[in-house]
Amino acid sequence: MRKEQFGHFLTLMLIFIGLTFVAFYFHITNGAFDMSVMDVVKTMLRIDPNEKHDLVIFEFRLPRIVIAALVGIGLGMAGTVIQGVTRNGLADPGILGINAGAGASIVIFMFFFQMSSNNLTDDSWSSILMMPLFGFVGGAVAAGLIYLFSWRNGVLDMQRLILTGIAISSGFGALSLYISLKMNASDYEMAAVWIAGSIYSANWSFVLSMLPWIVILGYVIYRKSHLLDYFQLEEASAKSLGISVEKEKSILLLSSVGIVSACVSVSGGIGFIGLMAPHIAKRLVGIQHRFVLPMSAMIGMFLLIFSDYIAKTVFEPSELPVGIVVSIIGIPYFLYLLVKSKA
Amino acid sequence: MVNSVLRVEDLCSGYEKQTVFTNLSTSIQEGKITTIIGPNGCGKSTLLKTIGRILKQTSGNVYLQEQNMQAISTKEIAKQLALLSQNPEAPAQLKVEELISYGRYPHRKNVGALSKKDIEVIEWAMEVTKTTQFRKREISQLSGGQRQKVWLAMALAQETDILLLDEPTTYLDMAHQLEMLKIVDDLNKKHQCTIVMVLHDINHAARFSDELIAMKGGEIITVGTPSEILTKDVMKRVFQIDAKIMIDEENGSPVCYGYDI
Repeated sequence: MRKEQFGHFLTLMLIFIGLTFVAFYFHITNGAFDMSVMDVVKTMLRIDPNEKHDLVIFEFRLPRIVIAALVGIGLGMAGTVIQGVTRNGLADPGILGINAGAGASIVIFMFFFQMSSNNLTDDSWSSILMMPLFGFVGGAVAAGLIYLFSWRNGVLDMQRLILTGIAISSGFGALSLYISLKMNASDYEMAAVWIAGSIYSANWSFVLSMLPWIVILGYVIYRKSHLLDYFQLEEASAKSLGISVEKEKSILLLSSVGIVSACVSVSGGIGFIGLMAPHIAKRLVGIQHRFVLPMSAMIGMFLLIFSDYIAKTVFEPSELPVGIVVSIIGIPYFLYLLVKSKA
Repeated sequence: MVNSVLRVEDLCSGYEKQTVFTNLSTSIQEGKITTIIGPNGCGKSTLLKTIGRILKQTSGNVYLQEQNMQAISTKEIAKQLALLSQNPEAPAQLKVEELISYGRYPHRKNVGALSKKDIEVIEWAMEVTKTTQFRKREISQLSGGQRQKVWLAMALAQETDILLLDEPTTYLDMAHQLEMLKIVDDLNKKHQCTIVMVLHDINHAARFSDELIAMKGGEIITVGTPSEILTKDVMKRVFQIDAKIMIDEENGSPVCYGYDI
């Protein structure tokens, strides 16, 4: 029976790898400058390279797709953890205000370091690498506040968690907006686009700045993913099984805050991926988190590459922030879940 | 003299804004069934939860085999002591045997597959609790009585010498209540399990226990054998009832056959 389950999981993973590849194909060949598959393959394999193709693929499209993939993976994993730890299927990093917290502190960072898109010098390199760190502080503060306010009698009250999350989220959102209004024009433009959630200014230094976060914290979370199964029992049962519940939950939550912050620092507030991906994953592979987690990461990656492709092409030549595309898909799904959970 | 396997010393515990009891001291004997009885809100569940480290004491100590429990890692404790809490919850789609396998957590080193030993213990736990026949079913498809037996099986899969049960018979019909207690009794007699439980039904408590701890208002009123506790006097002091008590000829335990307030 376990083998069967594993086979089922593997098949689904392969299907989603295939789907991701299709999205990747559309994304890399289409755009303001259409390319044939042969052009792409030739450029990638360095067969008689041509400057124009190099520029489009290596400087514009590839980093963008890689970032979409990493952010999708990150949000998919973080969403799984946050839903698992809070035992609430409607929780997600966006709803819980972690996005907004990380966002606000990154806007503050942008404000003080004046890093508009046109002064990407060597100096700003270090500031790009610093951004996830700043985001982490903001995300952790938001998570800490939410924890503090929803803690009752030694247990996390889920009702309060969601309500505080919404409050914290709008609070930090307002803060971001206020600070961005005080910025100079070019910084403001960058911040505004970034807050809406977009990855079109992607470049390789962003990839580099978030990659370690995703890899290291993703590994930590994966190693601990089996614990999420136990957390679906109520706290007393998990404790009596000999799990250091508070400690493990904190490690898992902080790791997700780290991942979300890294994602937010690069892509701004992209909501709903962290909500949708784990849900779809659970539908497909059941409730064991060592299957749900990689599946959710995979689905997150696919959804985001696909959404970004839409964001890029639907109003060509102008671009839609990918966060908005995700919301357009995500809001009906969220409402559907709400209606269904009432029944 | 019988060893005390669990000893409580000057224990204070409660919830955030409300202290339930202060300076409780008592001890539990090895290989016996001890039942804590008392009116609602007397602190009996709180005492059990604090002993089972589900609730953190505000002060005082609990000793497990004469070792201070605060100095033992929670995973080590889980190998010696299992606790079945009141109305536990599990995800609806979880399969019976999966839930029972969770009980192996303290014995498993890594995330990998269950070992041969793990599987043996799980099979044994299902056999003892008579849950083998619905091992493939989902938790949500079970009746209350079946579910409670599955939870007991999960606690048994921990392979501990001590079992703490918080009102294991609540919400069960009369037959299931008795079935549950008979399984517990079997565990004690055949596997030398030390049992500490909280029960509301004093007749059940008297019939299945070696020792009773009577609590009221956060204090231990008295401790003794069923025939020492099920008396007119103690019932009046603990429950404020006028109990009519006789001896059940068949098993020699006292029975309360009627009462008035």
